[in-house]
Formats: sequence, structure tokens, C-alpha cells
Amino acid sequence: MNTPDRKSFSNQTASGNDLSAAETTLRLIASLPAPEGLEDRIQAAVLAAPRKTRILAWPVALTPASGWTHSEWVRAAAAAAIVLVVAGGGWGVYSRVQQPPSARVIVLPPHGAAQGGFSSAGAMRTPQTLNGPVVAHPSTTQPTESKVPGKAPAPIAPKPLRHGQPSTANKTAVQIPAPLAK
Amino acid sequence: MSASQAVFSGWMEIPDSTVDDKARQYAEEETLAALVSQYAGTLYRVAFSVLRNPSDAEDAVQEAFVRVLRHRDTLGEVRDQRVWLIRIVWNIVLDRKRRAKTRPETDDVSELARVLPSGGMSAEQIAVAAQHHAHVLACVDKLPAKEREVLMLSAFEEFNSVEIASVLQISESSVRSRLFRARNLMAGLLDHTRSLR
Repeated sequence: MNTPDRKSFSNQTASGNDLSAAETTLRLIASLPAPEGLEDRIQAAVLAAPRKTRILAWPVALTPASGWTHSEWVRAAAAAAIVLVVAGGGWGVYSRVQQPPSARVIVLPPHGAAQGGFSSAGAMRTPQTLNGPVVAHPSTTQPTESKVPGKAPAPIAPKPLRHGQPSTANKTAVQIPAPLAK
Repeated sequence: MSASQAVFSGWMEIPDSTVDDKARQYAEEETLAALVSQYAGTLYRVAFSVLRNPSDAEDAVQEAFVRVLRHRDTLGEVRDQRVWLIRIVWNIVLDRKRRAKTRPETDDVSELARVLPSGGMSAEQIAVAAQHHAHVLACVDKLPAKEREVLMLSAFEEFNSVEIASVLQISESSVRSRLFRARNLMAGLLDHTRSLR
């Protein structure tokens, strides 16, 4: 009974030792001294960094302080240049955008069979039909044919009908001659 | 000269010629120099604990002070300059670490053997110690980001939990709970790797 407890205690001790060793490593790294001359290098880098934010840097001759804006014709030329740039830009955009031609014939989509519902999507309905009767013993008798080559089979002559005994077979197929029918 | 004329004549630049600006610039330089001499070492150690490369850490500290220079107008409004600087450099190094993941890993063991102190140790002992430190740091890297950050900042003895909370912009109770979770996870990772050996 004591063995697992001792084992778990030793495991806890070992993991605690590992943890303290890990924290020692982290503390060792956290307490590393800074390299020599770090402050001087950083001071130099900070002093060399740009301090001002230059938004625009025009040549001195083009700055308003040089007085070129006091001339009437220069101001008019500048205004004309601005108008040209704006109008040219607008025309460039307008010429690139092509308007779609207006449709003269409006083609309506075909209406489905069921409005607002599911359509059959062109599927054809095939009714389920019953299978016909299956003959258990199909007849093996062959129709009588003349085996003699070159001799055509004799045509079947219709049997003469007797009075009072109408034929039951082929009632519709056989045409009765007119004198016999009387 | 009116304000509009001043703006147009200088094109939105602050003219250098005035005496007030020179005095103000001098005062800013003095303040910045004092900040560099006071906190450069701390910032370097914070940067090195994340980047583990001396030149990268120095670059990060330089970038932090250049950012301070750009925002020097707000320097007077900062309540705790130390925590503010540490937060700046912390964000910089995390950003660099994130970008550096795309690059191939450097040889941590040899770098640690070169950097870490080795007073009175033989070459073999130094190699074994560097191996151990590299193994610990590899386990630290496996931790989730939130727990890892708290664990790394808690290794600095000069930072208390309030300052760590200010740097990470979380509450102090969150710092404690994350540190607890980080230690548990770390113990589990170390135990797992020990059982594999």
C-alpha cells in the first residue's frame, strides 16, 4: 500500500524539483546583464532618428512665401490647370465607364408549372405497370412448314362456313363473302 | 505673422528658429537621455527573455525609445514611465517574435552557452547546463501564449503582480490564475519529458 504513495510522492518531488529548476532558468535569463555600451548606442540611435514629420517639401521657388502667387496671370494659369486636371479626370472616368444599352424587348422567363412551389424540372412520369401473365410451360411445337426446298407453302384456304355454326375464331379478321352471308 | 501665414510659410512644420522650441527640444533630449540611462538595461533584459538574441533585443530597445521620441508630447501624461516603457518594448518583442516564426530556428543551445554566465564551470558542465536551459525554454515555448507571457514576466524579480497586470493590461487576479495554470502546465510538461527519457 505504501509503494504507490511513495512513488507519487517521489514523482511530486521530482516534478517540483523540475519546476524550481525551470524557474531558476527563467530567472537566470531575466537577470542577464545588459551588454557594454548599450546606453550609448541607444542614445546615439535616438538622437539620429528623424524628429520632424515633413508633410510636403516644395522647392523654395514654389513656396507661397516667394511671392509668385501675387501675379495675376500665374494665378489664372494655376486655376486653369486645376480646372483642366479635374475636368480631364472626370472625362477619363466617364469615357471608361460604358453604359449598358437599353433593352427594347423584354424577355420574360418562362413560368414554371407550379408557381412558388417545387417544379418537376422536366422529369417524365412513367406509370408502374403490372407484369403480364407468365406461361409456366411454353409450347415447344413448331409451326408446320414444308421442308421441301424450292416448294412454296400452300396458302391456307378459308374453310367453308356451315349454316348455324358460326366460326368462333378470327371473327373480325375474316371477311365473309356476300353470297354466303345471305 | 499670423497663424495661417506661419503654417503656409513653413508648410506645417514647426519653425526651429524660436527660442522656446530650442529650450523644449533640449528638455526633451534630457528627459529621454535620463529614461535611456535608467531603463535601458531593464528593457534589454525583457526583450532578451523573449527574443533570446542579443542583437535583436538591442534593436527592440532602440525601437522602443524611438517610439518614445515620436510620442514625446504625451510623455508628461504618463503616470508610471517604467511600466509604460516595458509595455512598449513588450509589444515590440512579441511582434518580432511572431514575425520571426517564419524564419528558421536559431541554435538556442549554443547561443545560451555563449550568453549565460559560467563562472568556474568546465566546458562539459557549461554544455550540460546550456542543454538543460534549452530544454526548459523549449517547454516554456510549448505553453499557451497567455500563460507563457505571465510566467516569463514573473521571472523578473523587480516586477510585482500589479506591474505585470499593467504591462499585459489584465487584472491582477488574472495574473495570479494564469501563473498558477502556467506552473501546473510547466510541471506536467517537464514530468512528461522526464518520463520519456
